[in-house]
Amino acid sequence: MQYWIAAIVALGCFATLPFFLGQYWLHAAIMGLFYVMMASSWNLLAGYTGQVSFAHAAFAGIGAYTSGILAVKAGIPPLIGLPLGVALAALLGFALGSLCIRMGGIYLSLTTLAFSEILRIVVTNEYEITRGTMGLKIPPLFGEYSKTVSFYVLLIAAALMLWAIRRILDSDLGTSFRAVQNDETAASSLGIPVVRVRIIAFVIAGAMAGLAGSLYGHYLMLITPHVLSLDLMFLVLAMTVIGGMGTFVGPIIGALFLEVLSEYIRVYGEFHILIFGLVALAAARFAPEGLVGLWRGYFARKVRSGQ
Amino acid sequence: MSDFSLYLTNGLVMGIIYALFALGVALIVGIMNVINFAHGELYVLAGYFSALFATALGFHPALAMAMSTVVIFVVGLLIERVFIRPTYGNDMYSLIVTFILSIVLQNAYLLIFGPYPRKPPNLVTGATNVFSLFMYGNQRLLGFGLALVVIVAFFILIKFTWFGRVVRAVSLDRDMAALVGVNPERVNLISFGLGCALAGAAGVILTPIFPVTPTVGVGVSLTAFVVVVLGGMGSFAGCVVGGLVLGVVENLGAAYLSSAYKQLFGFVILILVLFFRPAGLFGRQRV
Repeated sequence: MQYWIAAIVALGCFATLPFFLGQYWLHAAIMGLFYVMMASSWNLLAGYTGQVSFAHAAFAGIGAYTSGILAVKAGIPPLIGLPLGVALAALLGFALGSLCIRMGGIYLSLTTLAFSEILRIVVTNEYEITRGTMGLKIPPLFGEYSKTVSFYVLLIAAALMLWAIRRILDSDLGTSFRAVQNDETAASSLGIPVVRVRIIAFVIAGAMAGLAGSLYGHYLMLITPHVLSLDLMFLVLAMTVIGGMGTFVGPIIGALFLEVLSEYIRVYGEFHILIFGLVALAAARFAPEGLVGLWRGYFARKVRSGQ
Repeated sequence: MSDFSLYLTNGLVMGIIYALFALGVALIVGIMNVINFAHGELYVLAGYFSALFATALGFHPALAMAMSTVVIFVVGLLIERVFIRPTYGNDMYSLIVTFILSIVLQNAYLLIFGPYPRKPPNLVTGATNVFSLFMYGNQRLLGFGLALVVIVAFFILIKFTWFGRVVRAVSLDRDMAALVGVNPERVNLISFGLGCALAGAAGVILTPIFPVTPTVGVGVSLTAFVVVVLGGMGSFAGCVVGGLVLGVVENLGAAYLSSAYKQLFGFVILILVLFFRPAGLFGRQRV
């Protein structure tokens, strides 16, 4: 109960942001929400079922390019294109998840990596359709372009997505996710349909990334192959690792923390990604459970010392 | 016909270099079950060092090449000790750590060396008429020869030395090897350094032909993964065959199908192999 109150208070605070943030920071807040969606959904797949996929940015790209191309080339309104993009991302998630069922661990990572690179190369080269690295100009999701409206759209989407993830984690499915991650053989001996659980995780995470990517594209109104590059994948991974992989709040904190940090260190230009990387490397090396792990460790020590 | 033989030769030359850096990945996978995402970044670092030693410090290019390979070996030892050792037993975590490390290194190179391509001086100049079919650059022929020498030396090391016997024992059965007195931590450390040094060797051989920029390492890592999977995880002979196959397929594909999609062939091969024959061409059926 406390949990839900905290969540609603946090959501309420977030909802007031457009009233006192300038245009610049409102943009940062929107980017933060996009990263929260990406990191949380990747965490559902990688942190909870142990399938470290490198195709998450690619799924975001599928969502963005599907609704974008449909809007530009076929004149289909983005509100119809968006669910189609999500559906395609889910479908490809199903395909990729099924392709990976016979392999685990590093094989899965390499397959998703290859999938992601194939997609990036195709999108970059099919200039006629995607306009390659020039980027594809696409219309906003609906009506006139407005940053405030975009903010609320992404806020609602992020809130719903986090609510869905929370519900999944608290359900039997969430328990199966963790069982599959900890010990696949033991999970299957307890009657957990390991293959189905792993594919479901892929489909859900793929659809969520597709949704995030599509909203992101219609907010920026310009999509480039950068969406499905390993650079974005790195940001999502770094945010999750810094926040705390395999925890619910970790990716949220990591995403918001890194987005705010990146706005402050943007002035250093080239240092920007390097600092991210060093923080992530330090987190991976010294605090494998990220900020959330440090926080919990701090509390555990306090309790133990009887304060 | 002469076009075809040129593409084929290009494919074989590139293929043997692919094999060289892929052997490093295969060694590390075989021993530690770790995929080193920063493999390509070590290749790049070797290129930078080789250029630095030869031009800024004025060493003979051949000496510069040897020195930078040794430097990369030491860098590999350090990476293993600092970043990989804490992840023992967690394959996913080592993957994440090396992925982050590769991004850190790329951006560090960008700051230190700048975005412009760097290259060490050529060892030889001119071109040779190969089988009176076509003219081929001497530097490339030398690169082919050098890569071949390093690969043969590596195979001799693995087949006929004490260290090689230890490596084969550990990759067959880690626990058993530890029981008969092999120190697994030391084997890990040295294998990781040696694997990195192979990337370094490929880097110093290839950079006079293809100058390095901070980000070319990504392509090197991805190519190495394709070759290792194609050959069969952990199989050294498979690496050589896989490297040659990929080199030839890429070059013929670029010439006759589409040059824009040159990099795509490798990834398609990777997915097909993983789907139809996950053990690769020469791998033990472990998946």
